[in-house]
Amino acid sequence: MSSLLEGNEEQLERELASEPFAKPATGSLVLHAALTLAIVLYYVLGGFFHSNIWGGSTAGAAIRVQVTSALPLPSDQPINENVLATEKPSPAPEIPQPKEQAKTIDMTAVPIPGKKEKVKPQPAPKTPPKQQQVAQDNRARYGEQSGSSMPRAISGQTTTVGPTSVSEGDFGSRFPWYVDGINRKMAMMWNKSEVDPRTPKGTRVFLAYTIHRDGTPADVQVDRSSGSSTLDRSCVRAVQRVDTFGNLPAGYNSSTLKVSYYCEY
Amino acid sequence: MKVLSKSFASVFLAVICLLSLELQAQDWVHTGTNLGQARIRMAVADFKPVGADPETPALKATFDSTLFSDLANAGIFDMVSKAMAPQATPGSPQEISLPQWSAAPANAEMVAFGALSASNGRLIVYGWLDDTRNTASPQVLGKQYNEAASQDMARTIAHRFADEIISRLGGGINGIAETKIYFVSSRTGTKEIWTMDYDGQNQHQVTHLGSISISPRISPDGSRLAFASLDRSGWAVRMYSTDLGRMVAFPAGQSGGTNQSPAWTSDGTKIAFSSSRSGDPEIWVADASGGNLHKLTSFRGPDVSPTWNPRTNAQLSWVSGRTGLPQIYIMDQDGANIQRLTDGGYAISPSWAPNGAMLTFSWNRKYGPGAPGGQDIYVMDIASKRWLQLTHDAGSNDFPSWAPDGRHIVFERQIGGHSQIWSMLADGTEQHQLTHQGNNFMPNWSWK
Repeated sequence: MSSLLEGNEEQLERELASEPFAKPATGSLVLHAALTLAIVLYYVLGGFFHSNIWGGSTAGAAIRVQVTSALPLPSDQPINENVLATEKPSPAPEIPQPKEQAKTIDMTAVPIPGKKEKVKPQPAPKTPPKQQQVAQDNRARYGEQSGSSMPRAISGQTTTVGPTSVSEGDFGSRFPWYVDGINRKMAMMWNKSEVDPRTPKGTRVFLAYTIHRDGTPADVQVDRSSGSSTLDRSCVRAVQRVDTFGNLPAGYNSSTLKVSYYCEY
Repeated sequence: MKVLSKSFASVFLAVICLLSLELQAQDWVHTGTNLGQARIRMAVADFKPVGADPETPALKATFDSTLFSDLANAGIFDMVSKAMAPQATPGSPQEISLPQWSAAPANAEMVAFGALSASNGRLIVYGWLDDTRNTASPQVLGKQYNEAASQDMARTIAHRFADEIISRLGGGINGIAETKIYFVSSRTGTKEIWTMDYDGQNQHQVTHLGSISISPRISPDGSRLAFASLDRSGWAVRMYSTDLGRMVAFPAGQSGGTNQSPAWTSDGTKIAFSSSRSGDPEIWVADASGGNLHKLTSFRGPDVSPTWNPRTNAQLSWVSGRTGLPQIYIMDQDGANIQRLTDGGYAISPSWAPNGAMLTFSWNRKYGPGAPGGQDIYVMDIASKRWLQLTHDAGSNDFPSWAPDGRHIVFERQIGGHSQIWSMLADGTEQHQLTHQGNNFMPNWSWK
């Protein structure tokens, strides 16, 4: 019994002894005060630096996106078809400078007493025969080819200018400006954001369509699918958006023009 | 407990760090335009004067400068500056040396050149367009013009030749060099309708009513001009025949209330306008002759400034104040399928793009006393409701009107109490002031 009481007493003592809660309590108070202050500061500072958010991704309730691609104006970004071409060609190896000649010891530099100088008869300098100067082109080459001047048959060949190829005799070589016009118009009308972003880059869908005399496209078909239905559809839609490519050139005699065009994601 | 408070402190520090990070954080946005093609690099040679007629130099100067500015204004060419271009003035395809033009610094892809001669009061111009990269068959275009020798005709021929080039190289979209702009001017003391060439040249007065005439709208064939005018019975929609040079009847626009802001369909058969004859302003539609009048909207609040979808003529856009501040709405031609396009602010003066896909309008997005921003011109893609701001921080801009090529917009800009007509490309670049005299308002671009 007494042992039990003793035990109780101990418990009582432990319960009555003042616990050191003052420190943690003040700590907690300080922490809360600091947190409140931080939140207040955040909003105050946020209010101060409000202008930082201007022009950011949160422009307002409506979506602000470029729609100029839908305007019939060309963009200033030129197409770059060449994978290797760079804006700034990498530094090419320097033109090898002629190596400095090994220094010859000038015997006359320090006069040696008692030594007689031999005077060699100098041969008259020969003027080398004039050679045509070849302009040195110190530019890195990326597999570009100079155009060959060989005469080539231009009839009955498929001519390709950019993504458009025309299978109508020599149309592409006679009217490259019209084919350029097709490229320009298609690029303008193609909305790349319609394509599923998981489509691998570089995927191409080939279309075949006919352009009538008045420039209207017709009979749009997917010639070779890219495997991505969204890419196929976006490219077909691009053709369908075109009202006219402009009248076919006056010098062209057929009534229609068959065109193959690819959209590359 | 100490450990706990220490860990609290570290959490607190981390929170502060995160907060400060968030203050700094900015998204990386990788943007790029659509796979666009570069503008065509175009050179214009000075035309070769032929013959010794004393009139030729003056006509040639007008022709050369007009042709160059027309092509520069087209928005699809990268012009070779005259300082960079070769000095040669080839007068025929035999005389031109294409490598000279395709070489640096001109780097031209296309060259326009030709010859000009004045004799016996006639001005004869031969013009060619050559593709410098295609040496085998360079000629893209060859034209001959024979008109009366005058400064106006020299300018007109330059406009025609420029339009031929633009139509050929611009993908079948006709140029606007021969189009007109109708506008309101108060330079005579009263507000009358005036007209000018697209580049601000050749300004002259159309109406002489002596009252107030506003909001001119030219018919698609250019033969009739509808506008709102104040007469004895109030504001009426009236009609002026440019063929006859006098006012003609438009009975639907006369009766009672305020009749304003006419709008033609692109086939020229119908006119929509706003009229308050039934109470508050609503959209009404009548035939071009003034018959077959009916009301499209009937809702509390004003409905004004209609514009037709010129592609289909089956839709209208207009301004409605049914929810308070004016907003842009679209509906079908029978008044069904009403959709609101703008999400707030103060949006007025819609004009529908020729391709039917876009609207341009004047919008003050943060309307109210002390609100930032101003009245600016916007373009909205109707299907996606995405928009693009075209003017920034330059006066108060209103009354945009599309050019028939869909590449240009003309609008009124008010700076310090002076209103003038400006034009720009439809992406907001290349802004030019067209009028300088008096105050000028409410431009409307002709259809062709």
